[in-house]
Amino acid sequence: MIQIASILLVMLGLYGILTNRNIIKIIISLNIFEVGLNLFIVSLAYVEGGIDPILTSHSASSTLSFVDPLPHALVLTAIVIGVGTTALGLAFAKKIYAKYGTYELDEMGVE
Amino acid sequence: MAVLLIAIPLLFAFVSILNKKYAFYLLALVAAFNFVFSFFLEKGMYSIGGFGPFGINLLVDQYALIGLWLLNGLFFLTVMINLKASKKLATVLIVLLAGINGLLLTNDLFNLFVFLEITGISAYLLTTENKKPVSSFNYLVQGTVGSGLYLLGLVILYSMIGTLNMSDVISRIYTIGATPTTLLLPFMLMFIGLGVEAKLLPFNSWVKGVLEKAKPLSGTLVSSVIAGTILLVFGRLLTTVMVISNADMLITIILIATIIAGEVAAFKSTRIREILLFSSIGQAGLVVYLFTHGLLMQGVLLIIANVLSKFVLFTIGASLAEAAGDEVEELRGAFKNNKLLGIGFTVAALSVTGLPLFFGFVVKLNVLLGIFGSYDLITPIIILVVSLIEGVYFIKLLMKLWYGESNVQIKNVLMTVSVLSVAVVLIVLGVYYQPMMDLVAPIKDEMIMIIQGGSF
Repeated sequence: MIQIASILLVMLGLYGILTNRNIIKIIISLNIFEVGLNLFIVSLAYVEGGIDPILTSHSASSTLSFVDPLPHALVLTAIVIGVGTTALGLAFAKKIYAKYGTYELDEMGVE
Repeated sequence: MAVLLIAIPLLFAFVSILNKKYAFYLLALVAAFNFVFSFFLEKGMYSIGGFGPFGINLLVDQYALIGLWLLNGLFFLTVMINLKASKKLATVLIVLLAGINGLLLTNDLFNLFVFLEITGISAYLLTTENKKPVSSFNYLVQGTVGSGLYLLGLVILYSMIGTLNMSDVISRIYTIGATPTTLLLPFMLMFIGLGVEAKLLPFNSWVKGVLEKAKPLSGTLVSSVIAGTILLVFGRLLTTVMVISNADMLITIILIATIIAGEVAAFKSTRIREILLFSSIGQAGLVVYLFTHGLLMQGVLLIIANVLSKFVLFTIGASLAEAAGDEVEELRGAFKNNKLLGIGFTVAALSVTGLPLFFGFVVKLNVLLGIFGSYDLITPIIILVVSLIEGVYFIKLLMKLWYGESNVQIKNVLMTVSVLSVAVVLIVLGVYYQPMMDLVAPIKDEMIMIIQGGSF
């Protein structure tokens, strides 16, 4: 269920990127796209009734009952990268505003 | 050992932020170090952190070595030629260098995504040099969505087969018995993601904005060094990871459309940088076409020829356009006063069109023989017709640049020397090509050996 929801978020983000003509809105859509992606990755690691993948005194009955830790590590990296691109996109937005005085792509004329 | 190629640039990138004054010297030092050090690398699998096959591995094989020698060398030359511009962007360039080396070395799918983003972000920052923030923003959005799709693809692949190690993927696919139909989704997503950076047709609308007004530094890096890196990554993935067998028809059509559209657009264009950028789109399509049809060696040869000649063409083309104007008509006779640069440009252009005596001819001959060898008769015809178009527009361009009156003067000794030396390399490789053939001959066998679990 959460996987379908996260893919819906990804689609929503893509739709926003394709249809919006406002730079800030495009950056927000990009963030929605990334959040959906990250949720999807985390959801893949979930195991029904699984336990934390750390060394504890309770010995697990089988290795399969652990939650997969790798996707969490991947998401952590992906979040950091996403923040970096968002910051860069906002910096570009500031530059664009300084040059054209607007955030609307249609009002800038042909570049 | 191999990790130094990535770690040293990253370390110096931090140092260069702290010492802004010396940033450029650090950049020159690191670029020279990476170029020299890549010659002392030994082949093998280097595991990072000592986790063996479970952690991130760096793979140094002949394929990676060729890429490292070529691209680190050209990176160093490009930075040195454009002293003034690279002083401002020194930190970005050091990070870019780390990204390029990481892309060429890594053997882990997620690590590849990280380096794709590092290279991408530094490329977006490089394009700010052109003072066209909207096209830089466009590049950022498309690049981010592209690598996002690549990430989605690799995660779906991971949940199917349970590994991210590139050399283990194929054996895992056989073990779990995944069918081509189920693998189509992750592989197509990864193909699209990389296709954005590699300038394949439906995903390349950023290229025009970024390159049509590109300055010599960012233009040369984006169209030669970064493009070559991404294409080499594509080659490795298409050979060792993505076995797209039932999407052949679709992908072939996309790639042939890329080739034709790129070359026709270049033919139609009247501006020097536009001609070069459209021609590089066409060439990228051809390279990926070769990789999807298993012609790894020919693809690598084409990348080498392309990267070398695009370096010369874009360096000179962008400098001319900055000095006198974009329209070819305004540049009539520009080479009269800059004969040495003109000779370099002519050699590179003739090599791209595939005239004998130049490296491009050897490459094109090998490419066509390879495609004929796979009993495909339509594609060689398309490629030959496209080469004809290419020949026509490049010779038209050369005629205009050599004949006419102009007072454009470009004085840059370093640029002339390096452009001419690359041109000499193109001629030498065109006549005496056996060493290059021996160099690229073992790459495919090595890759297959590593997939099957062998080691050096």
